Amino acid sequence: MKTGTFEQVLAQPAQAEQLPPCGANCATGTDVRGWIAVVAQRHKLGLTDADAISQAWRMVADVNPFPATLGRICPHPCEAGCNREGKDGAVAINALERFLGDWGLRQGLSLERMESDPKPERIGVVGAGPAGLSFAYQMARRGYRVTVYDGEPKPGGMLQHGIPEYRLPEEVLTGEIQRIRELGVELRLGTAIGRDVSVDELRTQHDVLFLGIGAQRAQRLGVEGEDGPGVWSGTEYLSSVNRGAPPALGDDVVVVGGGNTAIDAARTARRTGARVTLLYRRTRQEMPAIAAEVEEALVEGVTLALLAAPLRIERTGEAVTAITVQRMELGEPDASGRRRPVAVAGSAYELPASAVIAAVSQEPDWEGIGSLYTGPTWVKTQPWGRIDEQLWAGGDALGLGIAGIAIAHGRRAAEALHAQLRGQPAPAAPSRAAVTGKAIKPDYYAACARTEAPALPAAQRLVSPETEVHATIGEAEFLEEVTRCFSCGLCFGCEQCFMYCNGKGFVRAEHAAPGAYFTLQLDACEGCRKCIELCPCGFLSAQPLA
Amino acid sequence: MAFVERTVKEGDNLAAFFEGGEERRLTLTDGSRIAVIGGGPAGTFFTYFLLRLAESIDLDVSVDIYEPRSFAYQGPAGCNHCGGIVSESLVQLLATEGINLPPAVVQRGIESYVLHMDVGTVRIETPLQEKRIAAVFRGNGPRESEPLPVSGSFDGFLLELAASSGARVVRKLVSATSWDTGRPRVTCSDGTSATYDLLAVAAGINSQALQLFQEIAPGYQAPKTLKTFICEFRLPREALDKFIGPSMHVFLLDIPRLEFAALIPKGEFLTLCILGDDVDNALIDTFLSAPEVKACFPDGQVPAPACHCFPRVNVEAAAQLYGDRIVWIGDSGVARLYKDGIGSAYRVAKAAAKTVVHHGISAEDFRQHYGPACGRINSDNTIAKFIFGVSTLIQRVRFLRRGVLRMTANEQQRRAARRHMSTVLWDLFTGSAPYKEVLTRTFHPEFPAMLGWNLLAGNLARRRANGSKGNAHG
Repeated sequence: MKTGTFEQVLAQPAQAEQLPPCGANCATGTDVRGWIAVVAQRHKLGLTDADAISQAWRMVADVNPFPATLGRICPHPCEAGCNREGKDGAVAINALERFLGDWGLRQGLSLERMESDPKPERIGVVGAGPAGLSFAYQMARRGYRVTVYDGEPKPGGMLQHGIPEYRLPEEVLTGEIQRIRELGVELRLGTAIGRDVSVDELRTQHDVLFLGIGAQRAQRLGVEGEDGPGVWSGTEYLSSVNRGAPPALGDDVVVVGGGNTAIDAARTARRTGARVTLLYRRTRQEMPAIAAEVEEALVEGVTLALLAAPLRIERTGEAVTAITVQRMELGEPDASGRRRPVAVAGSAYELPASAVIAAVSQEPDWEGIGSLYTGPTWVKTQPWGRIDEQLWAGGDALGLGIAGIAIAHGRRAAEALHAQLRGQPAPAAPSRAAVTGKAIKPDYYAACARTEAPALPAAQRLVSPETEVHATIGEAEFLEEVTRCFSCGLCFGCEQCFMYCNGKGFVRAEHAAPGAYFTLQLDACEGCRKCIELCPCGFLSAQPLA
Repeated sequence: MAFVERTVKEGDNLAAFFEGGEERRLTLTDGSRIAVIGGGPAGTFFTYFLLRLAESIDLDVSVDIYEPRSFAYQGPAGCNHCGGIVSESLVQLLATEGINLPPAVVQRGIESYVLHMDVGTVRIETPLQEKRIAAVFRGNGPRESEPLPVSGSFDGFLLELAASSGARVVRKLVSATSWDTGRPRVTCSDGTSATYDLLAVAAGINSQALQLFQEIAPGYQAPKTLKTFICEFRLPREALDKFIGPSMHVFLLDIPRLEFAALIPKGEFLTLCILGDDVDNALIDTFLSAPEVKACFPDGQVPAPACHCFPRVNVEAAAQLYGDRIVWIGDSGVARLYKDGIGSAYRVAKAAAKTVVHHGISAEDFRQHYGPACGRINSDNTIAKFIFGVSTLIQRVRFLRRGVLRMTANEQQRRAARRHMSTVLWDLFTGSAPYKEVLTRTFHPEFPAMLGWNLLAGNLARRRANGSKGNAHG
């Protein structure tokens, strides 16, 4: 070895926060690891259980004012990349969020304002769905006067009308919307643009408009016999049930489609006691619906008819009597990457049907507001939902997605608009590369089984159709489940680096906080990399010796 | 009742029992809980002996060993940092205790050692058959090595042994200790805590754990330590066989601040240990550039080490290493100077275990029954300091080096029955015998005589050789 070679192999630790998979995958952009950390590390931070839980709630509510709602309905992409998955199951983030959401409602926690000085600009929002309400919330807490218009008598958009009671009780959603109202957001309900308020009035009364109109126009099946009684779109059916005026379906209901609306419609119809068949033209693997929801539908007795497409709706007089179904097989992949279903010649068959619910797809409905936006059916925007200085948009009108995405659209548009109005620099794009693999040491963490929310037995669900299928976990389960978080990429104070450094290179921080339990003293570093290799969460990484 | 039976059975302490009164005595009873902080050799030996002794007198106690690290990790993260030399005498001693080192633990049997000095090199064969030594990895081998089986780590093997004796291994890091109505309480970094009847601290000196006791034991003073250096070089097996062989290579080089250095072959690796005064990167580079060292590597090229660390060694015992319900064992208390730390951990751990099971857990019990074992090591260390002083002198003075080299080489050549210098050096560098024995051996009348003769002869021969060389040049 030449002189000095030994020093060349030395490396020093660097304390660098890394993006965790949960946060990277969360549709709303919530700092999942951050709010879990506050509860999991509450003893080190000197917080009582209640204070820690409330603080976690505030961290969630900062970006998502609907934790109790999303805790129930979100397909939780956050859990998909969880580094704990391979050990003993992903952290039950969705169940945790639901507990937090219910906690917030039960404790009567209110949303926090960010800026108290009132701003002169008047903001109008079209559509009181998740995108519009999220936008309204973020603007109102920054001091803007916000008015939200919605043609429906109840706010919430698809959350209100498209999601069955057994998945999301109305009082939960109402409670979370109420908090937004308490910030001073004015909701003008039952006020359709173009019917009750003209586009011109809207323009003169507001400096900036946000379009959160969703995608409410159901696409047709395009088959013979579709027009007439006994056939509904998925959203039509679900919203009439949610309005308390369910249509009479009869004994044999056929639902067409493989998305979440189709599954919700099938499960809701099943709760009337009808036999329900779900028709989907591809296989279960290709179904866009949340897998767990499909499983629940099967448990409840919904029959799946896969590789089956509707050919014709048969009627006797006006009444629907059957649906003729075409068998399909999977061919070459299409533009979406899924294999295209191809008809199998001469394989049509008839299914008895008293009602057909077509839940194939939806698109934005521009009736009455077409003059506001003259682009294509699906809104095209610049980053953060900006169409022009006065017009912004978000939610399903930009493309169908989960509620979390709509909430993020609303928030990001508000942040960018606020920056524009106040002459501040535009927000930066979030980074997306999450810490995984070798940097995380799962065997450091004690084994602990994943909490599962208790579920109502299938028979019970049919007897009381509005009762929630899953319950909220208890406080004890919540407090245990948070301890399962690896805190990927952020120091949680395991103290190993401090304890095992031969050179005393780590010093306890005066004010402990997640990610800031120890400060580095590189002068003392002997370059052995022990701390980096012991660090279970990937917070410490190697850098060449300074 | 267990106490009375036990005392009578053991046949001692009866007087103390009746005089002191039961309520004043601190002892382990059925259901007592013991916390051991640290799962290295001291902690695991202590646990093993404690549980075995307790069982032999039907005492039902439980032991929690706090060890957050996994010895399945490679590199420094899973290692307790030492040269990894276990003398045959210790191996045999452990075997008599029912602790048999599995073959997977022994990376290499060391059959000879080679002494390198600037004045020459001499190979010393095993003095006696039972004095072979075993080279082990404390953790799961160096960084980027072939993973060892679970039992392949020396410390991992001992921790498993303790667990199989009935101890619970708690994989948590202790972050605080306190007194809970007179009993020691241990709090972990995750906020959980537990109260025990006895706390045994076996936390070593290569962690910051000894800071945790300032409040509950203000009298305890951590041992004085010295920074050493250990690193691992990865070499092809053929190269190791050719250049190193089944030998430990010891270097007595006249490099400022260098006390002692050794190369020890283990599997596909070569472990380098350096002892010295304030070992730093400059000293390491100077050592690695020495021709005597380079000659031990293929093509004279020293590769970059796979891993390294600067472990601290105990050079002066801790003060006040016991109190009521608390005792320090292993490196955090007393340890043998420079060598055979595992052996001294074994001795003190066994003494401490005997004390707590057969006598009691008060400061007085430890003073009477544990203190003497520590004292023996301490006084041997005093002798050691003298011996190492002489060794340093030899290292620094060229003519002494020649004498030692010649005497040793002659002993090895003649296969003499009495190999005074060889045995002294072997024991000194392997730690196979107490330092007192090493010193005693030098008192043998033949030793100074032989050394004197070799000093003369070695340096005379050298002068002649130099003289003739000088003439040739002139």
